[in-house]
Amino acid sequence: MRKKDGKWFYIFISPWLIGFLGLTLGPILFSIYMSFTNWDLFQSPEFIGIDNYKTLLTDDPIFWKSVGNTFFYALISIPLGMSISLWIAYYLNKKIKGITFFRILFYLPSVVPVVASSLLFIHLLAPTEGLINQALAIFGIQGPAWLLDPNWVKPALILMSLWGVGGGVVLLLAGMKGIPQELYEAAAIDGAKSTQSFFHITFPMLTPVIFFNLVTGMIGALQTFAQVFIVTAGGPDNSSQMVVPYLFQNAFQFYKMGYASAIAWVLFIIIMVLTLVVFRSSALWVHYEEGKANE
Amino acid sequence: MSNPSTVEKTISYIFLILVGVLLASPFLYMISIALASDATTVKSAFTFVPMEFQWSNFYTIFTNNNLGTYLKNSVIITVFTIVGSVLSASIVSYGFARIKAKGSRFLFIVLLSTMMIPGEVTMVPQFIIFRHLDWINTFYPLIVPSFFAGAFNVFLIRQFVMSIPKSLDEAAMIDGMGHPGIYWKIIMPLTYPILAAIAIFSFSYNWGNFMGPLIYINDPEKMPLALGVQLLTTVGGGQMPPWNLVMIASLFLTIPMVLVYLFGQRYVYEANISGGSSGIK
Repeated sequence: MRKKDGKWFYIFISPWLIGFLGLTLGPILFSIYMSFTNWDLFQSPEFIGIDNYKTLLTDDPIFWKSVGNTFFYALISIPLGMSISLWIAYYLNKKIKGITFFRILFYLPSVVPVVASSLLFIHLLAPTEGLINQALAIFGIQGPAWLLDPNWVKPALILMSLWGVGGGVVLLLAGMKGIPQELYEAAAIDGAKSTQSFFHITFPMLTPVIFFNLVTGMIGALQTFAQVFIVTAGGPDNSSQMVVPYLFQNAFQFYKMGYASAIAWVLFIIIMVLTLVVFRSSALWVHYEEGKANE
Repeated sequence: MSNPSTVEKTISYIFLILVGVLLASPFLYMISIALASDATTVKSAFTFVPMEFQWSNFYTIFTNNNLGTYLKNSVIITVFTIVGSVLSASIVSYGFARIKAKGSRFLFIVLLSTMMIPGEVTMVPQFIIFRHLDWINTFYPLIVPSFFAGAFNVFLIRQFVMSIPKSLDEAAMIDGMGHPGIYWKIIMPLTYPILAAIAIFSFSYNWGNFMGPLIYINDPEKMPLALGVQLLTTVGGGQMPPWNLVMIASLFLTIPMVLVYLFGQRYVYEANISGGSSGIK
């Protein structure tokens, strides 16, 4: 029985196991090796030790710029997006007529494929005829030339990311529905105002969802690609260049396979370290109901 | 929450309508550009509310700009990747959820840890492998990997299968059913809701996937819509891209996503709750 079971286990998991060996583990090992070589795909790879990493970390200003831009983008778009989505979820949780309509409307932008939203935002962000600057003009504000201005191109990408906050809102809304009604009733009896019950009940009870949104949002932001590739192409003057587009450029436009692999590993380490830090910090601020923490 | 007061209601409506207008206006602008005349496009003088209704744009993009081919390619790629990712993840998750074997715990941990590796690490070597197989400019690099069970999907279905009472399998086993039978006749049908959610996730990832086709497909005849629409914008010689046509193609890229989510949101919602919250804890 047991031996037979073992056979069946491996038969059932074989699609994953084969894929893991052929498309994950194999490529990982290959990628480590490649990152120590100089390889243009056409000649045979030349082993150069840690030179790629050395160049990357000490002698490549564009790489550092792209790391800085990626961090800038993540550090602003994530907290901003999370606060806005919390704010929106708070209002979407009200029992009022037509709320389903608003829920659907707010969610829709987050299902628009990034290629489509990127092409659309090229227009929305256009200097004079763009919708955003036209709207600002109504209030007498002269909007910047977003995509052409090194100082405004990153805020432009952040603005674009905010259009899709609805994805995170859905999870927050689900979390809000899971909060026991009795907590609010008890607070109301004790004379708590609605803002008080928000900060003392709703927010702490939502921290697991907020944590989830933070981790997934962070990993996503660090891997930003299509927006940059389509909307700004990294410009002007590399002021919107980010790590993954730079990696792509090295691999598939300059055919520097070894160098691109080294970038991939540095990216991996950045993501790993930041995820670990966020996970460690969660003990301080993420509230779990007692007894559920070890589920 | 208890029934809100009139003041609270008014504030909520004002907020919701304001944000609603902000979030909806890009859609309106998209439609407006899509219906603009060529003269307006050249001047980039698009209006917010559609003023022109050049419906012939829809005809033009199918006849002059390959939209039909792009759509067909997108459909082929998406259908195969959905079948592949649902089927393979379903089979694998049964193994992890229901069969005890030596090494199964260890392999499950390996599976979970692969979720932490960003795709960029394997991107370059995978390209080299597929290039060796002579798969560049074919759909294979975009389709075949989905038949090898994505870790996140396996995890999600496994969570779901764990909640199905084991007595069902045991009863079937006493009746002489083996693992393939139990999987196919008992467990798999019970997981339809989560499989639907995975089909939707797979649809949305592959329908909008840009980087994959960008790496593997150069031939316009083989491009899916997400790449084809971007190609429309790269006209040479300082010419203005046909933005009205680009926006129509973007609409074709967007509308199926919206429809799938409207009809499938129930499944996504459930998967988010069960997978999301168990993933956090």
